[in-house]
Amino acid sequence: MSNILEIKGLTKRFGGLAAVDNVDFDVREGGITGLIGPNGAGKTTIFNLITGVYKVSSGNVFFRQKDITNTEPYLVADYGITRTFQNIRLFKNLNVFENVLTACHASAKYGLAESFLRLPRFRKEELALKKKAMDLLDYMGLADRKDAIANGLPYGLQRRLEITRALALDPKLLLLDEPAAGMNPDETEQLMKLIANIRDRFNLTVLVIEHHMDLVMGVCEHIVVLNFGKKLSEGRAEEIRGNKQVIEAYLGGEHAEC
Amino acid sequence: MAQFLQQIVNGLSIGSVYALMAVGYSLVYSIMNFSNFAHGGVIMFGAYFGFFAMTLLKLPFLAAFALSFTGTALLALLIERIAYKPLRERRAPFLYFIISAMGASIFLENIVIATIGPTFRTYPKVFSRTAIALGSIAVGRLDLIMFFVSAISLALLVLFIEKTKMGKAIQASAYNMKAAALMGVNTDQIVMIVFILGGILAGIAGVFFGMKYTVYPQIGNITTKSFVAAVFGGLGSLPGAVLGSVLLGIIETMVAGYLSSQFRDLIAFVILIAVLVFRPSGIMGKISEEKA
Amino acid sequence: MDAYLEGILILSGINLIAVMGLCLLTGFAGLFSFGHAGFMAIGAYTAAIFTKMLGLPFVFGIAASAVSAAIVSWLIGMATLKLKGDYFCIATLGFGEAIRLILDNFQGLGGSRGWPGIPASSTLLNIVILDIIGVVLIANLVRSRHGRNMIAVREEELAAQVAGINTYKYKMLALVISAAYAGVAGALLGHYMTFIQPKMFSMVKSTELTIIVIFGGLGSISGSVIGAVVLTFLPELLRVVDKWRLVAYGMAVIAIMIGRPRGLMGGFELTPASFRKLFAERKAAREIKAASRLYSDDDSAQGAGR
Ligand SMILES: Nc1ncnc2c1ncn2[C@@H]1O[C@H](COP(=O)(O)OP(=O)(O)OP(=O)(O)O)[C@@H](O)[C@H]1O
Ligand SMILES: [Mg+2]
Repeated sequence: MSNILEIKGLTKRFGGLAAVDNVDFDVREGGITGLIGPNGAGKTTIFNLITGVYKVSSGNVFFRQKDITNTEPYLVADYGITRTFQNIRLFKNLNVFENVLTACHASAKYGLAESFLRLPRFRKEELALKKKAMDLLDYMGLADRKDAIANGLPYGLQRRLEITRALALDPKLLLLDEPAAGMNPDETEQLMKLIANIRDRFNLTVLVIEHHMDLVMGVCEHIVVLNFGKKLSEGRAEEIRGNKQVIEAYLGGEHAEC
Repeated sequence: MAQFLQQIVNGLSIGSVYALMAVGYSLVYSIMNFSNFAHGGVIMFGAYFGFFAMTLLKLPFLAAFALSFTGTALLALLIERIAYKPLRERRAPFLYFIISAMGASIFLENIVIATIGPTFRTYPKVFSRTAIALGSIAVGRLDLIMFFVSAISLALLVLFIEKTKMGKAIQASAYNMKAAALMGVNTDQIVMIVFILGGILAGIAGVFFGMKYTVYPQIGNITTKSFVAAVFGGLGSLPGAVLGSVLLGIIETMVAGYLSSQFRDLIAFVILIAVLVFRPSGIMGKISEEKA
Repeated sequence: MDAYLEGILILSGINLIAVMGLCLLTGFAGLFSFGHAGFMAIGAYTAAIFTKMLGLPFVFGIAASAVSAAIVSWLIGMATLKLKGDYFCIATLGFGEAIRLILDNFQGLGGSRGWPGIPASSTLLNIVILDIIGVVLIANLVRSRHGRNMIAVREEELAAQVAGINTYKYKMLALVISAAYAGVAGALLGHYMTFIQPKMFSMVKSTELTIIVIFGGLGSISGSVIGAVVLTFLPELLRVVDKWRLVAYGMAVIAIMIGRPRGLMGGFELTPASFRKLFAERKAAREIKAASRLYSDDDSAQGAGR
């Protein structure tokens, strides 16, 4: 299978600190790849670099062979990459439905004048948008909460809503930043199943950051391990599990988890 | 050449008063990340405190001066407690702080108009108006005193921030409020100190300003220019605020002297827009990548 | 109609137009401006040039005021909308003051003494018509994808970007539209007063507009409408205590920020649908309460939601 994403020599410096240091790895199309590593390893920073939230210091990001290094975040989304955030970023004062509806916008084309005057195309496309948002909420089991204000949702549902919002963009590649943070083992396992389901149903590729190694082992076909900004190792779950360096890095960092 | 030097001297003198005001804006910005538009009102109160201490209470100049900056320090603190503290506790977005500051500023200006009226008042004469001749240029006594008192006050402020434990804590909070709190810095106390410091400088600036020009409720509008100076130097940077103020003072007097005094006020805002367009971080400030 | 009352209604109507634009910018896109009086000034002077100097009909003056303010705002937006935090707000402040000072020194248009003799073309009728058009257009806009994109920018800019929204473009759109509204308001004001002076467009005016929007509740169009009318009338009713008016005003602003940061309407809209919904909610809440009382003595566990 071909690679949907290729990271080459990616580096990000903050002042003196190299948060990401010359990292290379590929993400295979259609798979679920895990990105793991202790606190401060640079995982979130890599997501920020891929999605154009941070400017790259050096190195490149290729999406389907196209160089997308330092592209504006909204264009990255247009190309087909979306993400969730480690510290959930919903449209807090909007309700669940509006959160998802807003992310559906890419599939509407009506212009400014049509909005001002509520012309026929506006009405037609709005209906389609609303239907799409509702279908997604149904699939993700959030339909009965559609009028709830995002901020007031329980934590687990907020994470779920953030994933739903990302799906509304019809992504080809979905980046999830610690989607299981703060969940108990049961919830986490459910979530991992959901992620696998999503991948199959929407026919997309997933790159997921996870802090707890055991959790990723089950669902990820391929795992990349980072430590202090550098790639420590990469391979299939069982290869990673037995890797001495990885175990050491984790013993050194696990107790500081947050 | 003589005229040029004269303009420089005049510019330095007014620039030093701008610096006293600008530092107040920058101090608050460095800690709380918002532009405290109530600062102009505090400066105006400083001018009135000094004026009434001398005219009504018949205090000697130095006592009136001390009374004024004590009063403004308390006033600044009071504004913080009433208008900003509840917002801080709620972690409100900075826009709420700005609006609250605007409210405080409107309140301060109009409470003065409502109680003692909008009239212009002139300070009693403290220093002789005859200028001192330095070679070919003449320097007003008041200008000279303004310059030195401002310079000394700013030097003391720098000493406080660089040398004392409290000053170090202020620096740490300016760098990263959350991290400072984690390291045991009492950030509420830091905020109070910062407002007191800004308030003291506002009082000094207010008295000088009143003495050089006149006292009236809209002085705050002129202090907007010192805010421009703070932006010019780089919001949040103290050396920047001083440098920006001195430069603004000199540029202003140059424009007034060589072009037309009508452009005197305009130039400040032209500089503001130019800075925002070409170098929003100002001369000495820096803009960092926001953490995501 | 009583000429005095008519005068206040006209002023409310004029304020309403400027406030509608600011309601979009501040209430929906989340950007604060302390320079909208500057756009009003541009509109007022441009319109006066068209009608008084060139002798063109008032509609041309109004159109020109909207276009000129929009163009200037676009230039300002290009320079400052990419900046973070309150830099945009500071820039608008600088712009507003700069415009005023430039006009002060521009003798061709009367300078600081003002410019008299502008035709008295603003009437209650044409202002009410423009108000209605203005409100309907904004109300339609905010309930479209364009409006929702602006709201997303206000709510969480980074998430909006990652969700494919060009946040710069939408901030610009909100700014340009709001400036055009301010420009029209300026044109109407000039042609009502028949006299314009730079002093009329100071930072105090800008702040006043922003405060009306906040008073009405950020993100509420009906709140802004009510705010514009109430806050234009109130000072007139309070003429007796005139000098205390702004004192109370200042205190009220702080009180709103602290106590009711979402303003009068708190993002709620006065529409027939929202009324029905409100009553339905109330009724449902009462029923739940009644039901819970049937089954247990402790009804505190069953709230009304929210
Ligand atoms: N905007 C920024 N400015 C300065 N330093 C930053 C910034 N963003 C990240 N860093 C630093 O880069 C390093 C890597 O951070 P990153 O958030 O990528 O780690 P992570 O692997 O996601 O860790 P965690 O498991 O805690 O989420 C850290 O030392 C962090 O402090
Ligand atoms: Mg992280």
